[in-house]
Amino acid sequence: MKKLTLALLAATCVAAAGPAMAQDKYPSKPVRIIVPYAPGGATDITSRLFGEQLKNILGQQVVVESKPGAFGIIAIEQMARSNPDGYTLMVGNVSTNAITPVLFKSKFTLDYEKSVTSVSRLVIYPSFLITTTANFNVGSVKDLVDYAKKNPGKVRYTSAGVGSFPHFDMEVFARRAGADMVHIPNKTGAAGMINDLVVGDAQVAMLNAASGAAMIRAGKLRPIAVLAEQRLKDYPDVPTLAEAGFPGVGTLHWQSMIAPSQTPKPVLDTLFKAIQEAAKAKALQDAFAKQFVAIRPNASLDEAKTWLAGELNNWRKITSEVKIDMN
Amino acid sequence: MEFFSNLAIGFGVALTPANLAFAFLGAMVGTLIGVLPGIGPIATIAMLLPLTFHLEPVSGLIMLAGIFYGAQYGGSTTAILVNLPGETSSVVTCIDGHQMARQGRAGAALAAAALGSFFAGCVATALIAGFAPPLARVGQSFGAPEYFSLMVLGLVAAVVLAHGSVIKAIAMIVLGLLIGLVGTDGNTGGQRFTFGIRELTDGIDVATIAIGVFGLGEIISNLSRPEEQRSLLVQRISRLWPTGDDFRRMVPAVLRGTALGSVLGVLPGGGATLSAFAAYAAEKKSSRDPSRFGQGAIEGVAGPESANNAGAQTSFIPMLTLGIPGNAVMALMIGALTIHGIQPGPQIMTERPGLFWGMIASMWIGNLMLVVINLPLIGIWVQLLRVPYRFLYLAILLFCAIGVYTVNNAASAVMLAAFFGVVGFVLWRLDCEPAPMILGFVLGPLMEENLRRAMKISGGDPMIFIDRKISLGLLVAAGILLVLVALPAIRGKREVVFKEN
Repeated sequence: MKKLTLALLAATCVAAAGPAMAQDKYPSKPVRIIVPYAPGGATDITSRLFGEQLKNILGQQVVVESKPGAFGIIAIEQMARSNPDGYTLMVGNVSTNAITPVLFKSKFTLDYEKSVTSVSRLVIYPSFLITTTANFNVGSVKDLVDYAKKNPGKVRYTSAGVGSFPHFDMEVFARRAGADMVHIPNKTGAAGMINDLVVGDAQVAMLNAASGAAMIRAGKLRPIAVLAEQRLKDYPDVPTLAEAGFPGVGTLHWQSMIAPSQTPKPVLDTLFKAIQEAAKAKALQDAFAKQFVAIRPNASLDEAKTWLAGELNNWRKITSEVKIDMN
Repeated sequence: MEFFSNLAIGFGVALTPANLAFAFLGAMVGTLIGVLPGIGPIATIAMLLPLTFHLEPVSGLIMLAGIFYGAQYGGSTTAILVNLPGETSSVVTCIDGHQMARQGRAGAALAAAALGSFFAGCVATALIAGFAPPLARVGQSFGAPEYFSLMVLGLVAAVVLAHGSVIKAIAMIVLGLLIGLVGTDGNTGGQRFTFGIRELTDGIDVATIAIGVFGLGEIISNLSRPEEQRSLLVQRISRLWPTGDDFRRMVPAVLRGTALGSVLGVLPGGGATLSAFAAYAAEKKSSRDPSRFGQGAIEGVAGPESANNAGAQTSFIPMLTLGIPGNAVMALMIGALTIHGIQPGPQIMTERPGLFWGMIASMWIGNLMLVVINLPLIGIWVQLLRVPYRFLYLAILLFCAIGVYTVNNAASAVMLAAFFGVVGFVLWRLDCEPAPMILGFVLGPLMEENLRRAMKISGGDPMIFIDRKISLGLLVAAGILLVLVALPAIRGKREVVFKEN
């Protein structure tokens, strides 16, 4: 009898606790952000920097967890399959969350566009069209195009790997320029690309502006154009790629927060507002300014959605222009 | 004179109470996580990374560096005691270090590792202080053809690693090369041997294979033996300190290892990894009695451990001047620097002398701390072997599983490690040594990538490997080594021929 009473009591407690917890204001427990890369990379750092601000704003711990692999598909699917309650989110970038869903559609076991929704873009990164000074002497985009046209197959460009956006960018650039260039992929990312340029294995690349800064100062690399909304304050003499005659070429690299598509609207609203507020924090602005990174949240939740859809469309276009056989 | 002023700047930064405390904290945490293979340095540093946002860049870097080499020290402890390599470099330490532990000489092996590492650390620090700028230029002269030739040399050296049959060693290298093919083809993006398993798209992590083949394989083979023949025999722990004879063998090994490690560490990427293997091969080739290797030769511990530490230290040069991380921990350090708006570059030494030299000086201090922390601990670690194997192996299994999981937070990696555990057991039964396989696995992908890249650069002309002077030198060295390896075999055949006559 005593046991039964206890059991009943326990059952009532559980029943009572259930709705009470559901009614708790989001977030009432730590929030997990899945990152599709190993720790230490740009996307990881952006998540941690934002995570720290969000922790203060939301009043809950924000835990960054890395799930690298399969071009981001592992992270995307884990996020998309978790409870859509706002406690499992993802911070991805143009590669994992716009190119991968287009290029590797067949490798997904779910429908990407139906399964995820964009909470808000976080930041955008400018890139340099950059050349080495080791065994190469061109001072402008025009020089590069002239040289590449006169020497087909002699100009080599490096990228962060086959199917990475610096690869597509250079491919599109070469097509618009009407030049034939050789691709030297380097899967170790920006550091590997810089090494390729400095030792002269490759002569040109589309490289994250901040990554190249030290080598530019050392005279080992020379930026000939910048891919950004406008010229960078620190490099007033470097024209934008559009000014140099190649408008619409190149990818403005971004990082964005993504959530499972069934996440309730109030939760998404809370997150969206928190990101807007975090974007105003001075510590965050200072940290990003040092890397030429611009904080650019979307204007609204709806805009975030149409923006991501637009990105996917854009990459469908690019990947149909530049066919890369990945199988 | 520059040498002393550089060191003065460095020690001025590193000897402030706060930075000393960070170095100690890093070394301590590193040792602990190194000894507990479950909690790898990557996971730890990732957790500590946000903390460094609020620190002075140099303090943050000093702490992270402390964790890095502390973990290396700790990693060799588990390699020696329970045949569990935490990373590539300690694979080599397993070969003779664990044999020494089985013979009750774990204390001597641990002391050899600690003292060798410390000596190497001192030399590497002095070397960096004196010659950092020219050393940085060496790294910048290594393009694809040079790397390819270096990897060829490394693979030839791998044959020397084995103490049994040369044919088996070659077979193991080729097996390693094949396993290294698994993943995405870097040049075309095509999938190779992934069998549609997404977890294999990025290839197999070396920690998964090393822990599987060595750690788990060892457990299975141990359990397949009757109890009294199991490897961790507790009664025979003789003494904790190397004997005079041990010291006589150690000293030249430490010197050679330090030299090799210092040079190879300067090469961005694979350099530091190669150094431990190269040092082992050098010790074995230069030994008067190579048959002792694999049976618990103290040179086989002291040489690679010194090389490993020297290489780890000089690999900070490409990390800080080129931004090229030698391993995942260094990638995290670059991340920590990025947060502070510091981009690694050739001018970091002149632009941020406090950071660069402070970091170098702190490495020496950290190494000293590690010796002070670790030497008294040897007695305690050795006591660990007194834990009955039926408990110990469960703990090892658990830590192996956690360790493999934390590399990529993927459960699939644990399954893969279990598979490689069986592979390790089969190899043990077939009397095939896994170390050359691991080296093939590590070097194969680098060799392939650089070969294809070099051919793209030359437009398909293989003369590029001979036209480039450094590349030619490395190939010639590989050729000489190959002859040295082949000679005893040829001689052996001749003797057989004579017998038949």
